[in-house]
Amino acid sequence: MDALLLLTPVGAASLAAAVYLLLGWRRITAHVASAASAIILADAIALAVHVTRRGPIDVASGWLHADALSAFMLLGIGTIALIATAASPAYLASHDGERDGSRRRYAVLVCLFLAAMATAVLAGNLGLAWIAIEATTIVTAFLVGHTGSRTALEAAWKYTVICSTGIALALLGLVMLYDAARHANLTETDALNYTLLTAHAHDLDTGVLRMAVAFLLLGFGAKAGLAPLHSWLPDAHSQAPAPVSALMSGVLLPVALSQILRVTAIANPALGTGYARTLLTVMGLGTLLLAAIALIRQRDYKRMLAYSSMEHMGLIAIGAAIGTPLALAAILLHIAGHGLAKAVAFTSAGHILATEHTTSIDRVKALARRQPVLAGIFAAALLALLGFPPFSLFASELALARAGFAAHLGLVIAAALILLLIAFAALAHHGGRMLLADADHDAPAPSPALSTRAYTPLITAVVVLAALGITVYPISSLLNAAAGVGH
Amino acid sequence: MNELDITARTMTVSVVQVLVVLLGSPLLVGLMRFVRARMEGRVGAGVLQPWRDTVKLLRKHRLDPEGTGPAFRTAPVLGVAVGAVAAGAIPLMATGTAFGTGADMIAVIGLLALASAALALAGLDTATAFGGMGASREMTIAALAEPTILMAVFALSARVGSTNLPAIVAAGAAGASRLASPASLLAAVALAVVVLAECGRLPVDNPATHLELTMVHEAMVLEYSGPDLALVELGAAMRLTVLLGLWSSLFVPFGIATGTGLGVLLLGLLVFAAKTAVLGCVLAAGEVFMAKLRLFRVPELLAGSFLLGVLAVAASFFLD
Amino acid sequence: MNADAEWLDVACGAFLLAAVGVVWRRDAAASSRLLAVQGAALAAIAVVLGADRHHPELYAVAAGVGLLRAVVLPGILRRAVTASTEDRETRPLMNVGASLLATAGLVLLAYVAATPMVRLENTPAARALPVGLAVVLIGMLVLVTRRKALSQVTGFLLLDNGITAIAFLAAAGVPLLVEFGVSFDLLLAVLVLRVLTTRLRASFGSADLDDLRELHD
Repeated sequence: MDALLLLTPVGAASLAAAVYLLLGWRRITAHVASAASAIILADAIALAVHVTRRGPIDVASGWLHADALSAFMLLGIGTIALIATAASPAYLASHDGERDGSRRRYAVLVCLFLAAMATAVLAGNLGLAWIAIEATTIVTAFLVGHTGSRTALEAAWKYTVICSTGIALALLGLVMLYDAARHANLTETDALNYTLLTAHAHDLDTGVLRMAVAFLLLGFGAKAGLAPLHSWLPDAHSQAPAPVSALMSGVLLPVALSQILRVTAIANPALGTGYARTLLTVMGLGTLLLAAIALIRQRDYKRMLAYSSMEHMGLIAIGAAIGTPLALAAILLHIAGHGLAKAVAFTSAGHILATEHTTSIDRVKALARRQPVLAGIFAAALLALLGFPPFSLFASELALARAGFAAHLGLVIAAALILLLIAFAALAHHGGRMLLADADHDAPAPSPALSTRAYTPLITAVVVLAALGITVYPISSLLNAAAGVGH
Repeated sequence: MNELDITARTMTVSVVQVLVVLLGSPLLVGLMRFVRARMEGRVGAGVLQPWRDTVKLLRKHRLDPEGTGPAFRTAPVLGVAVGAVAAGAIPLMATGTAFGTGADMIAVIGLLALASAALALAGLDTATAFGGMGASREMTIAALAEPTILMAVFALSARVGSTNLPAIVAAGAAGASRLASPASLLAAVALAVVVLAECGRLPVDNPATHLELTMVHEAMVLEYSGPDLALVELGAAMRLTVLLGLWSSLFVPFGIATGTGLGVLLLGLLVFAAKTAVLGCVLAAGEVFMAKLRLFRVPELLAGSFLLGVLAVAASFFLD
Repeated sequence: MNADAEWLDVACGAFLLAAVGVVWRRDAAASSRLLAVQGAALAAIAVVLGADRHHPELYAVAAGVGLLRAVVLPGILRRAVTASTEDRETRPLMNVGASLLATAGLVLLAYVAATPMVRLENTPAARALPVGLAVVLIGMLVLVTRRKALSQVTGFLLLDNGITAIAFLAAAGVPLLVEFGVSFDLLLAVLVLRVLTTRLRASFGSADLDDLRELHD
């Protein structure tokens, strides 16, 4: 039963990939990916219930491990995967001129991506998690370059090189950690096991652990879009197809961050909270600064959303730096809320691109009048990202600030809030221009019009986001348990 | 304290080394030219030609260009003198020379640098364009080669604990396994590149060129004639012999005389002569296949050899 | 020094010198040959360590590593080189002399930085650890200062070879499964980069990364 719970997500996604590989993209197979995502979501709910009632699960002598954090991340993966895969048929249909081969490749790669992400989240062994995250780089390289244009290829190249380099540095950290663990008398199979490492953290050599943690944070931070190895993020997100951007922002970045949380859980008992805190604060503030500055002069709305992702990842990194249970609960809620909001934002951006045929902010005007429903959804997503109530990002940012002041990191929080303010102003300005500016007199009518079927999942997501901001009742125990894991 | 180590044996060794180098270096140069000529399909001028050239030049009338001063006049003599001192100090055929602890590797390298600096000054003293050009090129190369030498010396001396040449060579002769260690191999390659640079051989400088714009060493000595030219050529030949002998003593010390006894010393002398001759022939054969590097590529080569020297030092400290 | 330690030193020396050679020689064809030499040296390190520590499975790992990093990956690189008309790194961001001096500095930095790991064990293998870290740093230098796409791939391969060397020389490598996964991922990553290079060349006319400047703020 336990094994089934842990193996279902990977199995469902792999099966979906196999179906697409064999049958290609047709009308009957168009919704297989969404079905797989729904299965993942259902399994995540079951797992969450099981874990909060009966504690963590270990399968295959610790190689697969599910605790509250894993269940929470899996919930996030399932939800956002559902939104993104539900939007994929519309995206692929609007790019009708492509051969069937590229659509099949898209579908196979998306399903493999989901399988790799599920593995990374459910891995109990840092090595397995590393392999899964490296696999996502390889899989998404072609997804980013899917459109085949010059800019897409450039984005795919930068993405592959920077992420592979970052992940290689994480591997270096992993090797050093393994060395320290073996010298603390852990056996070969256990030396990279999370639970055992966290338990034996005090026995690890501090010099080696310091270097290992630095490399691990740097490497996984590269995958999460944190400075200094962040420059792939705006390019990849802006050039990738919109559902893929939604998946990357909503799934890939948080999963990399969850690995950072696991690393800090090992580092803090052994080195004291100061070391990881300093590293993460520097990385988080740096990312926030770069994102805020870049947002001011943005001219492309997809890049704007990408920098907004970077900004929120920076904020989450600062939350991870604080490290108290309140802060961890806040950032987990923030991950969930941001993932949902960004998925909705990117998906609607994809629809805007399909109907307005431009990604330039200047050329999209009076969206509120031309496409009211789409504009409403986009506006709701932007409001959520800006941190307005009742959306959950308001609650999580507030909780983060409280946690920061309680942990005597007031200066850091103050700096972060100032940078958030700058980003707020920029995002609001650009979004407002897109939605409310006067239309050109000779602007063509938007084409093609979109059906309600495409809008329904987005509207549902917005409603869930609002509900989450008001009460976390359904997931509060899960949230608390997950925060306890990372502490 | 630097103490001269003057016993009958060491005195003999030093004197014999000086004489052999003095008289034998033109022979080495002749041999190298012969090998090169034969490999290029020419008959060549014979192995004794440099001796014949020296004798011919010594008989000529001494001429100094107008406007030159002491720098121009002393450089040839200094070159020969430095070569002689180096030949007397470096353990070429036996591990003990009359200089004792004065045979410090840094001192010997410094002496050789002194000789090349003197020649560069002489080139500048002639106030011709080519003289200045050759001098500046020579000094650039020397400036880049000196750090490499120091690194290689450091690597070799770290093992033995001193920069005293007889001590280093004796340690090498005693423990042959040390010669195959990474530190030794790296230092050997680094020093080989430096020897090529200091002696003005390909790929750094072509000794057989007649195109002034490609010259480095030859450009400095363009204005010399008669006995001065003979001394300059002799000095260059002695420098080559001494450096090749140094390299072979440091890295291929087999056969060097470690004990007393006439037979051992004689064997050491013969082995030294043979090793130097073989090295010279290998160098000459290699030169047939090499092209001269463009001048702005020479710093790359020397930077690479400097890196090898650094690696040799790191290896000698950390890999043992 | 026993014989095993000497062989280990020779293999580590060859490993480091191959990395130095990649910095020295700027053309991609020479780089692929040097990477093959480095892969062979890495396999030799694994063999010596297997003999020294009496771990026979290290022989199998050595065979796999040798095959992948000395034959397959340089082969892919060489085929990419022959498919292109330009293979010389004509304008690196840092000239060769400065790169070599920077390499010297990086080697010394690696020796200093690796002291915590060296201190853990008192074996010749642990003392040779800085060589792996030095190759990692040299790989990053090549990645950052080269403009041609293939040179960046070379830098990435150097980085990965260095990490594998550290893994071998430290405790006892990483678990076999992880090593297998890492190798597979590396192979796929290089294949992806190869395909992207081909597409880049078809789309942009050359794989000069300076031409990739259309995406910026």
